[in-house]
Amino acid sequence: MTPSDPKLAELYTHACKACHGVAGSGAPLTGDKAAWAPRVAKGLIALKTSVAAGYKGMPAGGQCFTCTPADHEALIRFMADQPVS
Amino acid sequence: MTTRRALLTGTALLVGGSAAGAVGYRLWRDREPEGPPATDGAGRLVWRNWSGIQSSYPQARAAPANEDELASLLKTAQGPIRPVGAGHSFQPLVPTSGTLLTLDRMSGVLDHDPEAVTAQVRAGTRLGELGPALARIGQEMRNLPDINKQSIGGALGTGTHGTGLGFKAIHGEVQSFRIATLGGDILDCSADHHPEIFHAARVNLGAFGVITEVTLKNAPLTTVQKRVELRDVSDVCDDWPELKKNHRNVEFYAIPFTGKAAVITVDETSRPVKPRGADEDSSTLMTLKTLRDLFGYAPDVRRFVARKLMDALPAEDMVDEGWKLLSNERPVRFNEMEFHLPVEAQIPALKEVVATIEANRPDVFFPIEVRHIEADDAWLSPFYQRASGSVAVHAYYKDEYQFLFTLIEPIFRRHGGRPHWGKLNSLTAADFRALYPRFDDAMAVRAALDPGGKFLNPYLKKALIGG
Repeated sequence: MTPSDPKLAELYTHACKACHGVAGSGAPLTGDKAAWAPRVAKGLIALKTSVAAGYKGMPAGGQCFTCTPADHEALIRFMADQPVS
Repeated sequence: MTTRRALLTGTALLVGGSAAGAVGYRLWRDREPEGPPATDGAGRLVWRNWSGIQSSYPQARAAPANEDELASLLKTAQGPIRPVGAGHSFQPLVPTSGTLLTLDRMSGVLDHDPEAVTAQVRAGTRLGELGPALARIGQEMRNLPDINKQSIGGALGTGTHGTGLGFKAIHGEVQSFRIATLGGDILDCSADHHPEIFHAARVNLGAFGVITEVTLKNAPLTTVQKRVELRDVSDVCDDWPELKKNHRNVEFYAIPFTGKAAVITVDETSRPVKPRGADEDSSTLMTLKTLRDLFGYAPDVRRFVARKLMDALPAEDMVDEGWKLLSNERPVRFNEMEFHLPVEAQIPALKEVVATIEANRPDVFFPIEVRHIEADDAWLSPFYQRASGSVAVHAYYKDEYQFLFTLIEPIFRRHGGRPHWGKLNSLTAADFRALYPRFDDAMAVRAALDPGGKFLNPYLKKALIGG
């Protein structure tokens, strides 16, 4: 799975995919709705805060060095593959 | 049942009986470390390294798509200009209030020579992408680091390496590179063209210019067998010279407070593929943490329980293309110090490090990584004209890590070690001048390329110029 937006796809490929696209990395995999459900339940603000600050195995910013907060939000929605609010 | 899964099962039985009394302390100890604010007073987003201990608020972030964009950018960008790869360095190589520069948009294999078995690779390529890309053209890197998240540019910047007799670090297989300078030029460098830049900047800390692509000497694609086996650490230390001779790639992890070591060997094979399966290293690590949490202040009990769980566990074998097996997922974050020692000093230094940790730091539970790297001729390579044995000590990202400087670094320095450029150390320019015979020559090349120090942040000024 890759975002349809080319800019988002580039960001995803070079940052998030290294963990969210690799089985066994410990991260909820892109498109795995069941794995993402408990994260989604925390709400978008909590998820964006986790990305910005880092959380457990995820380093701060998700190691996406040019992502804006809006990019973080779009990437979360893409990987969760379900409504996030 | 695999080696590590049996360990987890055994520990789970213990944890059930012992957890109740220390819940409050453990919750406090396991809290997420506080980090800097997400933005500074001017609204700039924070950058942090992978482990979280380095941070800054860059004024600008740049992601050029090609050499022309990069060359143009370098002429006008606000300094310090700091290139960032995967952000896995623990030393403050990247923090900048100026321009944070990523080559994430300059990645991929550009070309290859099947006869010479070389590939031309853009510097923003992550090792995890490079493995399958090389496999598609029938090539492989036979020596890879413990993780594959690094960019090629970052790997060259810090002297990243794997392990095995006769295997150089990644920069040791570089035949040529292209580097973008502050003046907006792109220079082709090799042993025959700009040789002084080639030798000085093959390990470059992002302080000479920005490498845009490299030509790597690779090997034909093979299948390998990787074996992970738990043994008594004293036996492994005695057998280390023979292990190095008998296996293509080999390393071991000495596990403090257990008397055990995990030995990892990789050898070419014609056996059928047996894929590696789900990662168990992280769960094993957390089991070691549990043993620390439960028995940290009763080391004899800790050792007894660990040995009970680990003894007589079978070795694990997996067979596949090397790029799928040589590197590992490491989602549990940590901070790390690694020094590269003269070969004859490695095991004595390791024994001293383990004894010091066991005498003073019951909170340490991460295994200590022990590897071998061949000599090369890059002027700032930690392996410059010296085959080396590396010893790497880790601290869980939630734990205090100053002991690395106060207890561990003095041991490494006494044994003649050179630190990994990207990992924790307190050395200054004067120290590096004493350790690297060509240090001043390399600095002369750096100064000629960047007379104003636009690539230097405060740490690099201390490490490379001093004063």
